[in-house]
Amino acid sequence: MTGDGAKTGLRLSGVRYGYAGGQGPVLDGIDLEIQPGQVVGVVGANESGKSTLCLVAAGIAPGTIGGRLEGTVRIDDINSSHAKPYELSQRCGILFQNPTTQLSGIAPNVWEEVAFGPRNLSLPLGEVIERVEEALDALGIGALRERDPQRLSGGQSQLVALAAVIALRPRYLVLDEPTSQLDPEGTRLVGDALVRTAQRTGSGILVVEHKTDLLARLTTEVLVLDHGRIALRGPSHDVLADESLERHGVSPPSDVRLRRALTAAGVPIPDLAV
Amino acid sequence: MAPPKLGDRALLPDRAPAPQSLPDFVGRPAQGRYRGLNPTTKLVIAFSTALIAFGVRGWTGALVALAVVVASATYGRIGRAMLPYALATIPLVISILLVNTFLYPGASDPIAHVGPLSPSWSGLTAAVQGTLRVVAFAMSVALFALTTTTNDLVSDLERRGLGRRPSFVLSAAIGTVPRMIDRAKEITEAQRARGLDTEGRVWRRIRGLVPLAGPLVIGALTEVEEKTMALEARGFTAPGRRTVLRAMPDSPTQRALRWLLTVGTLLVLAASISGALGWLP
Amino acid sequence: MGWVSRQFTTRVIVLIPVAIAINIVIGYLTQTVLKLPIYLDSIGTILVGVLAGPLAGAFTGAASNLIWQYAPVIGGGTIGPFAITAAVIGFLAGIWGYLGIYRPRPASGTQLLLAAIIAGAVIVLVVIPIFNNPAYTDPNIGGYPSWVYTAAAVIAVIVAVIVAAFIYIRRDLAGLFVALAGIATGVVAAIVSAPIAAIAFNGVTGSGTDLIVAALRQGGSDVLNASLGQGLFSDPIDKTITSFVVYIVLLGLSRRFLARFPLGNRLFGDHDGAAEAWGSSTPA
Repeated sequence: MTGDGAKTGLRLSGVRYGYAGGQGPVLDGIDLEIQPGQVVGVVGANESGKSTLCLVAAGIAPGTIGGRLEGTVRIDDINSSHAKPYELSQRCGILFQNPTTQLSGIAPNVWEEVAFGPRNLSLPLGEVIERVEEALDALGIGALRERDPQRLSGGQSQLVALAAVIALRPRYLVLDEPTSQLDPEGTRLVGDALVRTAQRTGSGILVVEHKTDLLARLTTEVLVLDHGRIALRGPSHDVLADESLERHGVSPPSDVRLRRALTAAGVPIPDLAV
Repeated sequence: MAPPKLGDRALLPDRAPAPQSLPDFVGRPAQGRYRGLNPTTKLVIAFSTALIAFGVRGWTGALVALAVVVASATYGRIGRAMLPYALATIPLVISILLVNTFLYPGASDPIAHVGPLSPSWSGLTAAVQGTLRVVAFAMSVALFALTTTTNDLVSDLERRGLGRRPSFVLSAAIGTVPRMIDRAKEITEAQRARGLDTEGRVWRRIRGLVPLAGPLVIGALTEVEEKTMALEARGFTAPGRRTVLRAMPDSPTQRALRWLLTVGTLLVLAASISGALGWLP
Repeated sequence: MGWVSRQFTTRVIVLIPVAIAINIVIGYLTQTVLKLPIYLDSIGTILVGVLAGPLAGAFTGAASNLIWQYAPVIGGGTIGPFAITAAVIGFLAGIWGYLGIYRPRPASGTQLLLAAIIAGAVIVLVVIPIFNNPAYTDPNIGGYPSWVYTAAAVIAVIVAVIVAAFIYIRRDLAGLFVALAGIATGVVAAIVSAPIAAIAFNGVTGSGTDLIVAALRQGGSDVLNASLGQGLFSDPIDKTITSFVVYIVLLGLSRRFLARFPLGNRLFGDHDGAAEAWGSSTPA
């Protein structure tokens, strides 16, 4: 399904990437395809290349941060190496871990924060307003519109950041550990919003997470990254229940761990449909 | 309506009006007689009074600047708020008065002889003039700082053609200072709990600076990478003028005033530098 | 136009406000809270100059002073007009950046020892003109000169020893270059500031350094020379300390981070050939 005639999809083919001033490639031979409507999860140990994968998929590497890329990254009809950052971000958006640093820092209220992107693209005022209202509505944060973005909880800030990304109307989204710096309340807030976003906008989503429970809820397919290579891939429930997960530095979801613990203790488990 | 300026897309009637309109809290204009003036007008007033205060020697420059500032403050009913700024100049004023009165170089008109010191009249004159200059400048700063928000100023400058990069730098720089002060307070408290001395002898204080400055600087720098990526991902490097949300109120009178002040100040400064204003008191 | 826009990449645009805030906060802490006789308000300016270039450095310096002047709560004072000096400091820092002054230069043996001695000597030498000024040796002027005399000697010797030790213990010649760059910057800053202080404030700026100005005036200096004398005492020391702070900060940042700045690759040596094989292209 990665034929040359395919015109849609976020496609990485034979991708190797190393940072500028770094030592050697961090990603070593990645082949990946995400179509609109698909939600793909990525897990792996620290330093396995998960964040780098996000940056390469969104075109930020090498575009914004330099470095050397081999292979191709295509987002729908364009090649990420040949496109400007603002062209890329209208096709593929990215959400980072830190709730506050990715906000512009200069918007006096959430509404203007979300308007930052569309304004940068010199869109007509009417369209800016339309996109902002739509993004706020999609994430259910209309009530926050007048608030100061610097004074929100972690979870709320992440939602604002996500709204700001969606306001550019990308067809694909890359999420780099969106809940890792949030408390349980924030995690729940963002997790729910992500599920809704996936269903409502029909975007192709690539989500990197340590919280395998969240991935189990969100994704249809999961990849395990180990030292810059894809060690394992397949349907979420299969991969997340795989025996070798821990060897790659990933801890399985709680239901899998519970199941294994019970089995090890000799307790019979009814065979419920997963 | 005046013809739209090049790139001023907000004014171009090329789309059917959107069903929703701009929320009224976005770019809400400031209220008040002086506050309600266009931000650039207030900026021009601030700069010209400062330049006149410093640029014209003797009594005239300082008094004219001070008069303009006090008049504006009275008009805008913000006199009382300026008081703390005035009081803050006291240490500096004392320094100026003492150093100049008692130690004016080449003075030959002593007021009295107090032991080894001999205050002079020319020294005192210079001292009072210096004081007036400093107070006029401080009041001019206060007038501007109290009546103009960063957001309004930058937004107006951007509408007049300031690029998105300098606009971002201005807004971000002004906004980052309070945040960094908060972070510095946190670090100071944490260090104090570990024994940092902010009151003791000079040597201790120097030693205390390092564990404070280090985390502050490193912490601030680590954000730079992610913010850079986030900005580019939000189209910051796209070409063209950013969409204007709401224009700040302006009027032909203000426009005339700005031109008058700018040209006038430049002429006065040129005259002052070339010595043509030596006849002023 | 290329030279200008290359210094103002998005990354630099993000760095500048942070640098401005660093200048203001640390400057305020040092001068007002800790009341030390140095400024320490140019760390951010020099950092931007070295990483991005002269124009970016100059802009950072000037903007810091103007913003501090007009900031609520901590604003006011006499900082504003010295925006010119700050711009010059930033510009010079950009030039040192181009010249690779801040690149670590490992060395050993005699070369190292010589460098340490030269650095220490230069720092102490910079202070000697103050010793020779009659104003400071007149014991009848209210007791101030003896304080200034001792303080100058103590600070100079301490800084000289620290710098020499830094060079020798870390086996790094860069300390010498950083010290020289700092002193040169300080001297230029003093020369540029003197007329500003003299014209705008009759030489008095409300900081602790006014005492030095007073002492110099008593010794017969006119306003301009008194300001210059004060500047030549405070600025070289202050800028040398600042330059070292910047150098230490740069040492602590990863190559990956530094490489993405316009002048970033002048900060590491070419001995690391292996690293150049991969990821050698820096962002446009």
